[in-house]
Amino acid sequence: MPLGTLDSAPPPFFRQGPSALSKLIFFGVLSLLLMVADSRFHMLQPLRAGLATALYPLQWTVLRPFVWLDGGARYFQSLQASQADAAAAQYQLGLQSQRAQQVEQLTLENARLRQLLELRARVNAPALAAQVLYDAADPFSHKVMIDKGALSAVQAGSPVLDEWGVLGQVTRVYPLVSEVTLLTNRQQVIPVLNTRSGVRALAFGNGTALELRFLGAHVDVQLGDVLTTSGIDGVYPPGLQVARVSLVDRQTDASFARIRCTPVAHLNGTLHVLVLRTPAVQLPQNILAPPIGPGQGKGARP
Amino acid sequence: MIMPRGKELLLPVRPVFIWSSLIAALALAMVQNMVLWGNAAWLPDVMAVVLVFWAVHQPLRVGIGTGFVLGLLVDVHQGALLGQHALAYTALCFLAVGIHRRLLWFNMFGQMAQVLGLFVVAHLLALLLRLTAGDAPPGWSMLVAPLLETLLWPVVSVLLLLPQRQAPDPDATRPL
Repeated sequence: MPLGTLDSAPPPFFRQGPSALSKLIFFGVLSLLLMVADSRFHMLQPLRAGLATALYPLQWTVLRPFVWLDGGARYFQSLQASQADAAAAQYQLGLQSQRAQQVEQLTLENARLRQLLELRARVNAPALAAQVLYDAADPFSHKVMIDKGALSAVQAGSPVLDEWGVLGQVTRVYPLVSEVTLLTNRQQVIPVLNTRSGVRALAFGNGTALELRFLGAHVDVQLGDVLTTSGIDGVYPPGLQVARVSLVDRQTDASFARIRCTPVAHLNGTLHVLVLRTPAVQLPQNILAPPIGPGQGKGARP
Repeated sequence: MIMPRGKELLLPVRPVFIWSSLIAALALAMVQNMVLWGNAAWLPDVMAVVLVFWAVHQPLRVGIGTGFVLGLLVDVHQGALLGQHALAYTALCFLAVGIHRRLLWFNMFGQMAQVLGLFVVAHLLALLLRLTAGDAPPGWSMLVAPLLETLLWPVVSVLLLLPQRQAPDPDATRPL
């Protein structure tokens, strides 16, 4: 028998380490602890970020051939198709320019009116453009990864929009990428305002769409109503389109109406997104500051 | 050593090959997810298949600890609950190490019938954990995943045993 067919070391019959059952119990308990620490106490973000950074080179390498293929395919795309795309974009721009000019004027008017009424000025959130890299593989949650991370000053909690409406919220930030939880995630809630009737509500994700919960059976919501962000949470700026009501079910014996809405944003097929800075960071100081004591300031009462 | 009749004597495995096959499985899972099918629930978990293969064939080199560490990496890549795959792979490796003496005496269909149980347990464990954590179930297509993983078992068995089936002393005149 040739020498190469044997393992170099004899099998360690008598020192196999701890038994399989004890290893199972040890690692099982360890993973349960990790899960509790991750989901309940959110303590493991540093560990996660470290592992993600270690995995990043592998992900980058794996993606490279496909990026090149995609680039090559696009290079050979016909000139005609590109020109048609450019023409369509020009047309869209033409349609929007008129509205954009009106908006300028309306913003000015709105600012003056608010000044007259002594209302607080609207918060305007600066934004950061990003690209969706891929869907997160976990089939239980609805998340996508975008190509901007902590190095581009993305913060956890920032709202994310696509061209049509609100897409979701940044939930985890890694150094180079971040994870966006879509509105349809079971643990995602967004405060909304019905633009037709002014009813405010909370929209909960239910896995496939959004649901308005805890609204009375006779609430003024109709099929096709447009819901926008109400802005009362300090996270989402007001007035962004969120969803359209797709089902209103008023049962006589239930005290709440069952209302389902479809998100306006293209949750499955969007490529370019906008990450807004969290408004809470840039709220005017006097909102967060403690109330002014008597004798100071103009509004103090005796 | 008692061996099934008609089974060839294999060369010793090279540890480098084990580790590179595990990393390749991780990369393949990334391609499935990032390029091809997104987060479909029916996608077979290649990592689980390769892990069970090595836990059955080389239980002294790839065991429960390896499953745990690789599970953590998969958790981070998928953005899943940290520890979900770690627990599933720990259980998977435990069961695989448990059946490793028996499994190789069966023919391929017998082996597939037995590993199917393992994969079902792993997916069931993940489903239970996520439902407990308050996530929505991903739908019935999830049932396809263990079946696809079982179908991958013969493929993986043939591919990963290829280096060990080489002739021990390569010779230009030998037919093999």
